[in-house]
Amino acid sequence: MSQKEKALMAHLLRRAGFGATARELEAYVVKGYEATVEELLHPEQAPPALEDEDLLKRYHVDSNNLLMMESCQTYWLYRMINTRRPLEEKMALFWHGLFATGYTKLNHPKAILNQVEMFRRRGLGSFHTLLVELSKDPAMIFWLDNKDNHKGAVNENYGRELLELFSMGVGSYTETDVRQASHAFTGWTLADVSLHAARSERDSIWPYGRLDWQFQYRADDHDDAEKVFLGHKGTFNGEDIIDVICRQPATGRFIARHLYNFFVADEPQVPAWQTVPPRDPEAIDILANAFFKNKYDIRSVMRVLFNSYFFKNAAFAKVKSPTEFVVGTARLAGGHSFPNVEDLRLASETSNMGQQLLDPPSVEGWHTGMEWVTTGSLISRVNFAADEFADATKPGVRDIISRIRDQEDHSSPERLVDACLNLMGPLDVPDDTRQDLIAHASAAGDLRFDSEETIRSSADRIVELLQVIAATREYQLA
Amino acid sequence: MRTGIRFRYSHTVGFMSLQGGRGFGNPVDLAFDRDGVMYVVSRGGSDSEEMTISKRVTKCTVDEKYLGQFSSGGTGDGQIMWPSSIAIDVDDNVYVSDEALHRISVFSKGGEFLYKWGVQGEGEGEFDRPAGLAFDRDNNLLVVDGLNNRVQRYTSEGRFLSQWGSGGGGEGELNMPWGITTDQGGNVYIADWRNDRIQKFDAEGKYLASWGTPGPGDGEFNRPSGVAVDSEDNIYIADWGNERVQVMAQDGAFIAKFRGESGLSKWADEYFTTNQDELEEREKANLEPALDLPPEDYLRQESANIEKLLWGPTTVKVDDQGRVYVVDTGRARIQIYQREP
Repeated sequence: MSQKEKALMAHLLRRAGFGATARELEAYVVKGYEATVEELLHPEQAPPALEDEDLLKRYHVDSNNLLMMESCQTYWLYRMINTRRPLEEKMALFWHGLFATGYTKLNHPKAILNQVEMFRRRGLGSFHTLLVELSKDPAMIFWLDNKDNHKGAVNENYGRELLELFSMGVGSYTETDVRQASHAFTGWTLADVSLHAARSERDSIWPYGRLDWQFQYRADDHDDAEKVFLGHKGTFNGEDIIDVICRQPATGRFIARHLYNFFVADEPQVPAWQTVPPRDPEAIDILANAFFKNKYDIRSVMRVLFNSYFFKNAAFAKVKSPTEFVVGTARLAGGHSFPNVEDLRLASETSNMGQQLLDPPSVEGWHTGMEWVTTGSLISRVNFAADEFADATKPGVRDIISRIRDQEDHSSPERLVDACLNLMGPLDVPDDTRQDLIAHASAAGDLRFDSEETIRSSADRIVELLQVIAATREYQLA
Repeated sequence: MRTGIRFRYSHTVGFMSLQGGRGFGNPVDLAFDRDGVMYVVSRGGSDSEEMTISKRVTKCTVDEKYLGQFSSGGTGDGQIMWPSSIAIDVDDNVYVSDEALHRISVFSKGGEFLYKWGVQGEGEGEFDRPAGLAFDRDNNLLVVDGLNNRVQRYTSEGRFLSQWGSGGGGEGELNMPWGITTDQGGNVYIADWRNDRIQKFDAEGKYLASWGTPGPGDGEFNRPSGVAVDSEDNIYIADWGNERVQVMAQDGAFIAKFRGESGLSKWADEYFTTNQDELEEREKANLEPALDLPPEDYLRQESANIEKLLWGPTTVKVDDQGRVYVVDTGRARIQIYQREP
C-alpha cells in the first residue's frame, strides 16, 4: 500500500465521512478508491447505521423520547461517531446546514431530528424529491411559517427562502416569482396546527411531553388559481413549482457550489456568491452538468465529485467544522462507542466550538471555513482533543500505541513523530512544525518498551504527542 | 390464548415535570412501602447540569396525592445519575440502583441517605451497570448486574452473599438482563433484555423455564425490560421494544396486552385548569390522528405521535388488589390497569 493511496483514501473518508482509523484505512485501500466511493454512495446496502440502536435508547433513556435539545444533539453525534453508513450521516449534516432549521423558534428538537432522518432517507436521491419532502417537512413548515400561508392571506417566507437559499440563489428570480411560488404552497400545513402552535409558543411539555408533528395538505386552503412562475403558466401546486425550480440552470449551479463548499474546498460565505465567482468555476460546471444529466440525482453528482481531479487535489483545503472535529477526534481516539454518561459532553463541545447542532444561527445556516476559527473555539478544540486522547486505554489510542511499538524502529523521536502524524491522518505538516514536534518528542529521549515502567512512560509520551499534534493547524483541516 | 382474565384501564398517575415537585421526568421504576405509598424514580430529562433536579425519587399515592421527593442528580452520596430500579425492604428502607455510578444507594423512608455500596468491576461487590432490584423472602437484595450478565444477592446492608449467571443465549444464560421480580414461591424472573425472553430461576439460581422469542406477535418480545408476577403466578412483561405490556400464564399462554389507554391524570387536569387556552386547543384537536409513517421503527414513532400510547414502558408492577402499574417512561406517567373481578 503506497503512502499516496493511503493519503487519498484518508482524504475521501474525511470528506465522505468523519475520518477513518488506520485499521479502517487499510481495509478501504485494499478495496480500492472507486469501489470505496461506490460503497459509500449506497448506504442502503450497508448494515443499519448503528449495530444496536436499542442500546443507546436503553442507557440514554432520554434519547428515546428526545424531549430535550441536548438529548437530540447527543443522539445525533453518537450516531455520527458510530455509524456504519458514513456518507448517509455526512449528507444529512450537509442538508442540515443548507436547509437550516432551528430549535429556538420551534421549541421541538425532535421535530428537527425527524427532519434529519428525512435527509438520511432522501439525501442521496433526487433533489426534486428532496425539495418536495422538505416542503412537507413539519419542522420546515413551522420554521418558515408555511403554516400561516393561507389561500386568502399569503405568507411568503417559505416561498422566498425556497428560491433564495434552498435552490436558485439571489438574482435568479423576481419578487413576482416569490409571490407566485408562495401561492402555490398555500394549504401545505400541519395537522392540528393550532394546538401545536399554542404548545410551541409557550414551550409546553405538558401534560405528557411533546407530540410529533405531521404534514397535512388542506385543499380548501390551497389557492389553485392560475400562476405565472419563472415564465411558466399554470394552476401550479407546490410540486409544480419544484418541477420548474429543478429545471433552472441557476439551481444546478447553486447546489453544485454548496456541494463544492462542503465537500471539496472552502468558498466565501453564501451571501457573497452573487459577486464573488467560484474558486473553481470549471468544477462547478462539471457538478452542475452532472446534476442535469442525471435528472437531479444527488448520488450521481456525488459520484462525479468524489472521482474528480479537483476533489482528489483538495486535501486539507477545508477547515473542519466543529461537528467534523468532535466526531472525527472521538472516532480516532475510539471513545463513545458504547453509551456512557459522558456522551452528553459531545453536544456541549460542538456548541463551545461554534456549532450548536439542530439550532443554526439563522436560515442561512452556519458560516464556514475560517469563520469557524476564533481564539475561543481553538482553545475548545485543543482541550477537547487533549481529553479524548488522554486515555491510553481507549481502543483507538491503544491501537496507535500498539502500532508504534510494533514498527521496526520505533525508538527515535523522528520516527515517533512521523508515525504519529501518519496515524492521525496521514497529516502533512510543514517542516518547521515537524521540527518543533521532534524537539518536543526529544525532550525525554528515545522510546523504550523493555519493562513495565518504560511501556507505561512510552505510552504516556505517545499520548502527549497525539495531544500536541491535535493542536496543530493541520489537524484543524479536513 | 387464556380466556377469563380481563383488564380495564383504570387511571393515570403523574405528568411531565423536569423541575422537581409533582410529576416525573423519564420515570424508570416504582415500588411501594408498607403503607402503600408509591416511590417513583426518575432518570431525568437529560444528563445536563440543568437537569440534575429532574433526577429524583417522588413519593405519591395511587390516587395521586403528592408526598414529596428526595435525591437529585449528581455523583455525591445520596445522589443519582442513571437510576435504573427501586426496591423497598421490610423496614421500608429504599434502595436505588445506578447504572452510571455502578452502585446501590440506600435511603430511609423519609429520604435520608443511609449508605451505599458498589464500584465498577466484575468481582464480588462490584457492578457493571446494575439494573433491576428485587428482595427475596429473606429480605436479601437481588441485583441484576447488567453488563456482567449475572444476578448478585446481598444482605440489606450490602454484604455479598452469592451470584449466578453468565453471558450467552443458552438456557440460564443472560444477555444484558434488566428487570427482575420474585414470586410467592421464591422463584426469580428476569427480563433477559437482549435475548428477547423472560427466564425463570429458582431461589438459588437454578434455571427453570424460559418464555418468548423475538418478534411483535403475542408471546413474542422485543427487548423486554421489566417483569412482574401476580398471586396466581401470571406473568406481566414490559415489552419495551414493542411499546406494550403483555400478560401470560405460566404455561406461556397469552392472556392480554396493553398498548396504552392513558387519559389525563389529576395533576394533568390541574395543569389545564390554569391553562384553559391550551385545553381548548387540545379539545379541538385529533389526538389519535391517522399516521403516514415510514415502516422502520413504526411502533416507536406511533408512540411519539399518539399521546395515550405507551412509549418505552420500562417496568410493570402488580399489587394484591389486581392493579397493574406500567411505568410509561417516555410520557412521564404511570398507567394503571385493573383486573376485572
